[in-house]
Parts: sequence; structure tokens; C-alpha cells
Amino acid sequence: MDYPLKKVGIGTTLIAFCLLLCLSGTPARAGSSQLLLATTTSTDNTGLLDYLAPHFTRATGIGLRWIAVGTGKALKLGQNCDVDVLLVHAPEAEKNFVAAGYGIDRRQVMYNDFVIIGPLADPAGITGKEVRSALVSIKQSGATFVSRGDNSGTHRKELELWAGSGLELPDKASWYVQTGQGMLATINIAAERKGYTLTDRGTYIKYAADHGGNPPLKILVDGDACLRNQYSVILVNPERCPKVKSDQAKAFAQWLTSPQAGKLIADFRLMGKQLFVPNAE
Amino acid sequence: MPFYEVENLVHAYNRKPILKIRQMKIEPGSITGLVGPNGSGKSTLLRLLGFVEKPLKGEIRLDGRPVKPFDPCVRQVTLLPQTPYLLKRSVFQNVAYGLMVRKQRSNLKRSIHQALEMVGLDPGEFGMRQWDELSGGEAQRVALAARLVLRPGVLLLDEPTASVDAASAQLIKEASLQARKQWNTTLVIASHDWQWLREVCDHIRHLFRGHLLATGQASLVFGPWRPAGPAMVEKVLPDGQRLQAMGHPEDLAKAVAVFDPDDFILSNRRPTGPSKLCWVRGSLTQLSVEKGSRRLLATVAAGNVPFAARLEPGEKHGACPLVPGQALWIGYDPLKVKWY
Amino acid sequence: MDFISHGIAEAFRLLLSGDSQTYSAVAATVKVSSMSMAVSLALGIPAGFILGYTSFPGKRQARLMVDTMLALPTVFIGLLVYALVSSQGPLGDLGLLFTLKGIAIGQTILALPIVIALTAAAVEQMDRQLRTTLISLGADRYRLLMTSLWEVRHGILAAGLTAYGRVMTEVGISMMVGGNIKWQTRTVTTAIALETGKGRFAVGFALGLVLILIALTVNVSVSFLRRK
Repeated sequence: MDYPLKKVGIGTTLIAFCLLLCLSGTPARAGSSQLLLATTTSTDNTGLLDYLAPHFTRATGIGLRWIAVGTGKALKLGQNCDVDVLLVHAPEAEKNFVAAGYGIDRRQVMYNDFVIIGPLADPAGITGKEVRSALVSIKQSGATFVSRGDNSGTHRKELELWAGSGLELPDKASWYVQTGQGMLATINIAAERKGYTLTDRGTYIKYAADHGGNPPLKILVDGDACLRNQYSVILVNPERCPKVKSDQAKAFAQWLTSPQAGKLIADFRLMGKQLFVPNAE
Repeated sequence: MPFYEVENLVHAYNRKPILKIRQMKIEPGSITGLVGPNGSGKSTLLRLLGFVEKPLKGEIRLDGRPVKPFDPCVRQVTLLPQTPYLLKRSVFQNVAYGLMVRKQRSNLKRSIHQALEMVGLDPGEFGMRQWDELSGGEAQRVALAARLVLRPGVLLLDEPTASVDAASAQLIKEASLQARKQWNTTLVIASHDWQWLREVCDHIRHLFRGHLLATGQASLVFGPWRPAGPAMVEKVLPDGQRLQAMGHPEDLAKAVAVFDPDDFILSNRRPTGPSKLCWVRGSLTQLSVEKGSRRLLATVAAGNVPFAARLEPGEKHGACPLVPGQALWIGYDPLKVKWY
Repeated sequence: MDFISHGIAEAFRLLLSGDSQTYSAVAATVKVSSMSMAVSLALGIPAGFILGYTSFPGKRQARLMVDTMLALPTVFIGLLVYALVSSQGPLGDLGLLFTLKGIAIGQTILALPIVIALTAAAVEQMDRQLRTTLISLGADRYRLLMTSLWEVRHGILAAGLTAYGRVMTEVGISMMVGGNIKWQTRTVTTAIALETGKGRFAVGFALGLVLILIALTVNVSVSFLRRK
């Protein structure tokens, strides 16, 4: 009849449990010796980095881990010295970033291209047009256009295109829908609303594959020079951020712009299609 | 030496005064009854006597020494609250709790079984039951057993039989008296059970709105009163009779009239002729022997209001012997009524 | 929506085939939520008890603050912790950004008000007679505290489980502070966000089911305490 001892037993169990949790909770710090890259969702979502990282580690002995966020946030992380190196695609913002002294040694790596997609019925009649007249047609017809609206590289590109077409940004127009979401979510919204949208080709290829090769939205405008989507690598400025691993970061930038890496990028296939074209100088 | 001495006690909740007692003594081994309407401060007084909380002002001395809650000597005092709380454990563990905090582990099982038997619970049947597998009366008895197992020097009982069945009430009464008999435990019992208190108590104290009123077997009549002539007030009893008394109570709605049991005269006929006495008609509900004085106490209900009259030895009432149920007239001097 | 049925099948496939990415995310989730819960309970139960049991000047304001903090959005906490542990922030030197410990700090901020508020509520609803009973049975202050806590164990357990549910399912903090780094800070929830972003709805759904399974495991293993 030692029931009162039960209480002590459970108390001890709880303490032991907490201790166990604390011990098991000690995270592996293996990552701290690795290079930390901030990049955009497109390079991660397409699987390009998963494909390149082992090659890079084999060539240099440097481990790579990465954070996939929008270009705006990637640049912010670099500005705050929280990452070592950036792989992003918003040339104007990148130049400002370097000019402000946050980053150094910006190098082109590769490009893919943007496309304008829309419903097969094409209510604004933009099929095969140039970007500039396509956007004018969409505006005039009042057909729905879905925008990322999230300050991502794609969104910045879109803003650039409206400006380049001499049009005022239709920020508050009822046909202009700003989702604030990722590319795929935005495409899905465009499909639901039977509207147009600007997307990178890689995401569209995935989207098309997800719909068994017969998606409700088709590529209507592509191939225009202004639709090029340039990716660059930038080192976080070690003078501002003494703790960044500048040597490893430099090695990464060098490797990524090397002919071997270029070959790997050119060989990368998604659903059997090439996604990125290397153009390192 | 008195066991308890209370002096200039003041207690309040949220600045609302609850209790104000100038002086009170409780003899060791005595049985004290506390009576008074709900909200009169009985429970508060018991909590203070149990050292569960500290009075706002004044002090309570135990064996001559001032005592505060959590003092070691407090452990000889134990309180059974009106709605006892059982720990969410088995009956056995509930009764064991007090012994465990005192680290009295020897003969644990035997002591607990004895305490359970004392309140009429079979240890084999009830020991392993959980706290929520008991009836109200059983829970109250387990709570009492948890106190009795401590062999307390003082047992404070707050309405111990108010919300239990008759059988449990009987067992609780027996067990409390048993404690007094076995360990000379001092008992303080707050109860509405007049008959029981009269039978067992050495002293009965009235509490009213936080004040200790005339002690003993006094009858209390609560307001509202209404003016009935110069310096005279009256209360209409439920049966329509008017109870008149002299005095200028402050608040007619809440005033309490106190009638001393020695001031009543009983008669089976309404006396005629001039008299300074007032009379009300009632019926005899109870005759009991007053503890201590060994004198007869007669309770006469007039319009449901009980009046207690102490009978002189060999007193004649015109209609001896007294038989409960018989109609009686109660005479009193309206000048002798005390007011609170 | 056929991805739901695919998702259910996928959940079983991921778990039964021992998919290393899934198990890595599960491990990260369990580790980080255990860390934050251990700290939240250790700080929150005493704080909640004090808040519910005692009265002190400023108690109402403290209560108001805790109740308001129940509404903290996880993304806001994520930003707050990021500001603290970023290289530029006051705790930057500790190297907590993009680590599970960093996420645990944020999740503790998330869970602590829940544990405090619900513990305080449980303690406030404690029978007033409990204190009277324990003191009249001879309990000293320490015993009074321990037994009172034990008496409201179901309420405290509920507080812990509620906080655990919040911690395990949050995305904002893990994403912002953890960075969703594969093999390291990718938790089940950030993995769901990632897979959904990639358009792999079935995998996202499957990971959601995995999360529910973890929750079920925790609840089942805790329920043995509840029966006592």
C-alpha cells in the first residue's frame, strides 16, 4: 500500500522526460561549417540546387546549404550578413545592392526566360504578339491579369514590362489581380479566373506536367528579348560582414561560373526540357 | 487555562467587514456550538480558528501563545469545511494525506482503516474507491476520516451534517463525539441543527452579522420590525400574531431581538388581569435536558419561530406534565428584550 | 480533388519506405517542439500558477498582457526573433539564425502565453476549498503548492497539449528563423509549405497527415497521465 509514492514516481518521470527532450533537442551543429546560400524559390523548386550541390561539394570539398526565398528577402538576408552568398534574378535590384556596398563581385551565371500564359480562348487576342502590344491588348480588353505582387524577381520583371510598354501600372484596376503568393499558386489562381499571367518557363513546365501535359493555360507570348530572366551570383561584402565565409563564397561563385558548372546547368532537364542556359563570362 | 483565546478579532474581505469579536474563549476538551443565520460569519470564524487565514486585526492564542497560519503548532487543529474537498485520488490516499505531510508512515494502513471504520466506511470496500465514486454523505465522511486519522487536539466542524443524508449525519455526529471521548478533542461545531447542539454542547454562541451575541440558549427573532407606538416595535409572525418589544433598534428591517431563556413564562391558558407581560400563542415542539445545568429546556414554536424557555426545577405550568404538541402561551417582559 | 486520396497513399508510402527527407523533417519537428515545450512548461507553469493563485499589484495588467499575447501572429514572432538573432541583431554572435534552437526561441514565445494563460485559468477554477482543506490537513507552503498543482494536473496537461499543438503546426517562425534548410531546419510544416509551393499537393497533404500522426502519438502517450 504505497500509493502516495506514485506521485513521486510521476514527478520523476516528468523530470526525466523533460531532460530527455532537452538532450534530444540539442541540434547538430554540422551545418555551421557549411556555406550558406540565399536563393530564389525557382532554383530550389525546380531541383537545380539539389542537382548541383553534390557536384560542387565533390569539386571543392565545401558543403552547401541554402535558403530559398523571394529575391527581395534574399537580398535583405545578404544585407543583414545572415548568409554568405546570393543566387538571385533581379538585375536592377542586384546592381543597387552592389552599389550600396552590401555585395561584391556580381557575376552572371545563367538565364531562362519568362513567358506570358493565358487561356486557350485568349479573350485579349495576344497570341504571338510582342510583349508591349500584348500588354496593351490585355489592358484594352479588360481581361484578367494575375500578378505575383510579392516583390519577387518575377514580380519585378512584370513591373519592368508594364513600364517598358509605356503603360501606367494598373495597380487598382479591377481586372488586375495581385496574389502576393508564389508562382505556382499564382498560376493556379490565373487558371481559376481564366486570366493571363507572367511566369518563368521552369515553373510553367512543372505546371503543365502536373496537368498531364494538357494544362488550362498555354504559353501565348515568348521569345522576346525583354523576357530574359538573368541569374547572377553575388558575394556578401566581407568588409561589412566580417563573419561571412568569403573564401568559400568566392570558391562557389568561381565554380558556378566555370565551364564545368555551365555544362551541368545546360544538361539539367525537367520533364525532359532544358530549363536554364548558362551564360557566365 | 483556556485552549483558545480570541481577542479584538477583526476580519474583512475586500474591505467589507465580516467578523468583529472582542473576546472569546474556548476551554480545552469542551464542545462549543456556533449558531447564526447564513452569512453571519460562522465559516469565517472557523477558518480563523483553524488558522487557514490570518485575521485582519487582533490575535488568536492557542495555549496562551499567539499563532499564525503555517506555525508548527497549528497542526493540532483541523477544520472540516462545509463542502469538503477531496483530493483527486483514492479514498485511502485522501485519508493518508495528513499523515503523509506529517511523515507519520508507521502503521499507516491500520490508522487509516481505523479512521474509516470510525465514520462507518468499510476500508475494504471504500479504500480503493476514487474521489468521484462516492455519494455526498460518503465524501463528507471520508473528509471527516481524513481529520480523525490525525487524532486532532481541536476539530472544527462547519455545518458537518447540512448536506448529507440522515444516516451519514448520524455517523458524523457519532464519530465527532467519539473523537472527544477518545482523545479529549476540543470540538467547535457550526450548525443549524439546534437539537443536536443543545444535546451535546457545553456552550452555544450566536453569531450575527459578524458579532458574537448573547451566549447560551437565547432565542433570536430577526426583522423586519415595524413601529407600534412610542418606544414599541412589533413583528408580525407568520401565523398573524404580533410579537411586541420595547426598544429603539437602529435598522428596523434588520434588527434582531434576543430573548433570554430565563425570561419566559409558559402557561396553558392566557392569563387574564393586568400584567406588564406580553403573550404569544404557540405549541411545544421539543423538550430537552440542557447539558451542564441538567435543567429542562422547552422549545415553543409560535408561528414557526422557535422560542427556548428554561424551566425552573419543579416549575408548574398549570398543565403538567408538558406534552410536545400541546398548545402553550409564552409570556415575556417586553422591556427585557435585547437588541442587536 | 484526387490529390487527397493520393496524399493518403503517399503518407503511408513516405512512412513505410523510411523516406529519409520525411524522417529528417519529422525529427526536426519533434526536436524543436520538444525544446520549446520544455522551456515553456518550465517557465509557464510556475508563472501561470502565480498569476492564477496569488494577487499582486498589476495582476490585471499582467493577465491582460498574457491574454493579448495569445493572439501574436507567428510571422510577427518570426520577424521579432529574426531581428534578435540576425548577425546584426543583439544576439547575433550566438549563431542562432537558421538553427533549430533559433526556431525554439520563437516557438517558446508562441507557447509561453498559452501555457501561462491556460494554467492560470485552471488554477483560478480550482475549488476554493482546496486551499482550506490542504492547510487544515497540515500542509506547509511547499506541500500546498505541489498538491495544488497536482490537483489541477488535467488543466495543466490541457495547457501543455494546446501549446504543443500550436508549436507543432506553426509555419511562420520555422520559415523565418529556420530558413527551411534541407536536412537541418526543414520541419514538417515548412516542408508542407515547400511541397505545396512546388505544386506537389499530394506530398504536402501526406506530410500534413504525418504531422497529425505525430500529434496522435503525443496525445496517446500523454493520455496515460490523464487517466490518473
